[in-house]
Amino acid sequence: MIRESPSFFHRGPSPLARLTFFTIGAIAVMIADHRFHALETVRLSLSVLAHPVQQFAAVPSQALGRIADYFASQERLLRENQELKTRVLEQSAAAQEARLLRAEQEHLLSMAPGKSRYTEGGLLAEVLYSARNPFTRKVVVDKGLTHSVAPGMPVIDGQGVVGQVTNVGTFTSEVTLVTEKDQSVPVMLVRNGLRAIAVGSGKDGSIDVPFMPVSADIQNGDIFVTSGIDATYPPGLLVAQVTSVEKNAAYVFAKIVAKPAAGVESHRYVMVLPIPAMGAARPEPKADGTKPGKHRASARRRDAPR
Amino acid sequence: MRPADLTPVARNVMQLPASVALVFFSLAGAYVLSVLPWSGAGLLARPDFVLIVLLFWAVHEPRAIGQGVAFTLGMLMDVSDSMLLGQHALAYVIATFGAQVLRVRILSFHLPEQTLHVLGLTIVAAAVLFALNLLLGADFPGIAFLVSPVLTALCWAPVNWLLYSTAVRRRQGGAG
Repeated sequence: MIRESPSFFHRGPSPLARLTFFTIGAIAVMIADHRFHALETVRLSLSVLAHPVQQFAAVPSQALGRIADYFASQERLLRENQELKTRVLEQSAAAQEARLLRAEQEHLLSMAPGKSRYTEGGLLAEVLYSARNPFTRKVVVDKGLTHSVAPGMPVIDGQGVVGQVTNVGTFTSEVTLVTEKDQSVPVMLVRNGLRAIAVGSGKDGSIDVPFMPVSADIQNGDIFVTSGIDATYPPGLLVAQVTSVEKNAAYVFAKIVAKPAAGVESHRYVMVLPIPAMGAARPEPKADGTKPGKHRASARRRDAPR
Repeated sequence: MRPADLTPVARNVMQLPASVALVFFSLAGAYVLSVLPWSGAGLLARPDFVLIVLLFWAVHEPRAIGQGVAFTLGMLMDVSDSMLLGQHALAYVIATFGAQVLRVRILSFHLPEQTLHVLGLTIVAAAVLFALNLLLGADFPGIAFLVSPVLTALCWAPVNWLLYSTAVRRRQGGAG
């Protein structure tokens, strides 16, 4: 074995001692972050430091996108414009109807104790990039603490629910997609009002609906919307459409797979909605009807107003 | 196979240390490469640029770059990859320790054999990350994930060429 230097040159602790020290340090940091969420300030300050670099790194792809936009053919733009116009017409009828219904609903609710479950406004955000973490499904949007985004806020696009804000930085925040493993959304079947919980499967473009009895009335093509009983998602947002129902009498539960309604992997602009004000006080912290997620990202439990 | 250089230590004894600016900017450049908007399979197979530059400096500048720097860079990577804090830190510290132990041995080989040694280190780092995420309940992310350490190790030659030539060869008067 070749000694690199004679032992009389003192050079601090040996590599093995350092390894032990730093390994213990890293494990302590992991436990502090995972169990106690104690390092949010560290994360926040490091993310402020890293922000300019990330902006810089995003320049090439943004420039490419701009160039592609510039050379977009006129024909395509016209067609897109036409499509959007027809969609606006289609939706304006629905919107007027919804306004009427909502006014009625508000009126009815005003007779009962409790506040309106509807939320006003929202924050338009641009998706900057998907989070560079191969183990999770998240995107990073360009609104953060400075735009008063808070963890737990639901995020939607033109078609439906995209996910939920789980981590807020100074200028950006992370949105955990509904397809993320164990990310759960309380849903309701439009056709018959059956309540369920949609849980991300960890695969692109698929959501599971576990723990539904084999006898449950669920068919292919059924549409799930948010039920709003969790005080996080406003009621009535489109979540997913059932693509396969497997009822096997050998199992207690049916195996139901749904396809997320929102372009979960493909949207560019999303809307961050405020958390709706909760009407009645919840009886117990754990009785919120959601399956407790395993990962720290299910910020709903920590941050939903009590 | 070419005959190995049997005077590994003597070859580097008279070197000046690489400039701080070069070390800093090479690490910063690697970080920029790793925060490019990767996604999908590209993200899974993304070479760990920061790790390979870190290993390079751990081998070539052991007095300046050690496990402390590895820990700090790992924390930075955890934040920018939105992972649990400390995962990359642990992986980088273990890989750097490996580089410190194998340093003299790595330097005594030529590039292809060096790459094989580095491959071992990058596989260990990736395995640490993988094991930690499995423990936390993640699924196997996809077959492309296995390519990442190989691509990282393959970056050893270009990194060597870029950094070694600017940092060392110039000062040796073209002798290296």
